[in-house]
Amino acid sequence: MEEISAKSFEQVLQSTLRMIRTSWKIPACLFVQMDDTQLLRIRASDGLPTTIPAAFGFKPGAGIISQCLEKNQVLESGKIPWDEGFEAVLKPLETPQVKKFIIVPVAGQSRTLGVLVLGPVENSRNYLDREAELRGAGNLCAVLSAYWRLYEWMNNFLPQINHELRTPLTAIQGSLGMVLGGVFGNVGTEVKAMLEMAHKGCERTVLAIEAYINEKAPEKKS
Amino acid sequence: MKALVAEDDPDIQLILRMVLTRIGKCEVVVSDRGDEVLMQAKSSNPDFILLDVMLPEMSGYDICKALKADPATNAIPIIFLTARAMPSEVKEAMNMGALGYLAKPFDPMTLVTQINQLLGPAGCSIGG
Repeated sequence: MEEISAKSFEQVLQSTLRMIRTSWKIPACLFVQMDDTQLLRIRASDGLPTTIPAAFGFKPGAGIISQCLEKNQVLESGKIPWDEGFEAVLKPLETPQVKKFIIVPVAGQSRTLGVLVLGPVENSRNYLDREAELRGAGNLCAVLSAYWRLYEWMNNFLPQINHELRTPLTAIQGSLGMVLGGVFGNVGTEVKAMLEMAHKGCERTVLAIEAYINEKAPEKKS
Repeated sequence: MKALVAEDDPDIQLILRMVLTRIGKCEVVVSDRGDEVLMQAKSSNPDFILLDVMLPEMSGYDICKALKADPATNAIPIIFLTARAMPSEVKEAMNMGALGYLAKPFDPMTLVTQINQLLGPAGCSIGG
């Protein structure tokens, strides 16, 4: 099986952010998510004037993004400070009249997965009465991000499981093959039958691994 | 003929040593660390190298690149023998100048034949 590309999910998530941004008529839209190292990172963005360094990430603390995650509440920027380094990312977008950002929790089944940051919007406009729509946009990103993470995990898991299964099978099949091949002399008929059974079992296991790695079901043998 | 086997799993080392000495009639040098393989390739002057991909300290791909970049070792035929057999990885190995790619698990009774099929164009063979 050719490795599944996670790139397509990244592109879909980015185009979804663009769709949200243009339909809400706002300059920028960012999806921030906790990674495996427990750092909050910008997973995808649209409308930012500068490229975010890949290494940019921050530990959850007392900032507004962390608060949104913890409380699972839609928040507006202004009163609560930004998380570490985040203000610098958004500052170039602000003007004195247009500097408010909306932070929307992206809910998973049992926990908050990340946040959607939308803005800047006019300071006088109220977005909190459109909470259901905002959460809907966030949930769309959550689904796409979950698929993206799943495919990334699969791309790491499949080669690893392939290796972990093949290595011990090499030792089993190799040693049985040499005994059955007569490298160490002849074996009795009954012992040979038993060893052949074990050898065939190895071969079937290898075929099954290859079939699943190649996304083909093993042929049903009658 | 002398084979350098780069493999970190002791069981597979033993099987390869037996296959190559008993069936392939080769002298076998085994190395279980990536960085050691480069030194062994120069000091033991092997006729071919059986190279695993996942080795400690240095991957098989990096070893292959380093061997092919060194005039002292670039003519040694390299055959990858590995459990990592995803199509993109096979392609990557071949692009690095490897002679071939054999997947684990292998049949010890046909391994020598498979190696000879790959070594044939390079003008050498084992077992005979």
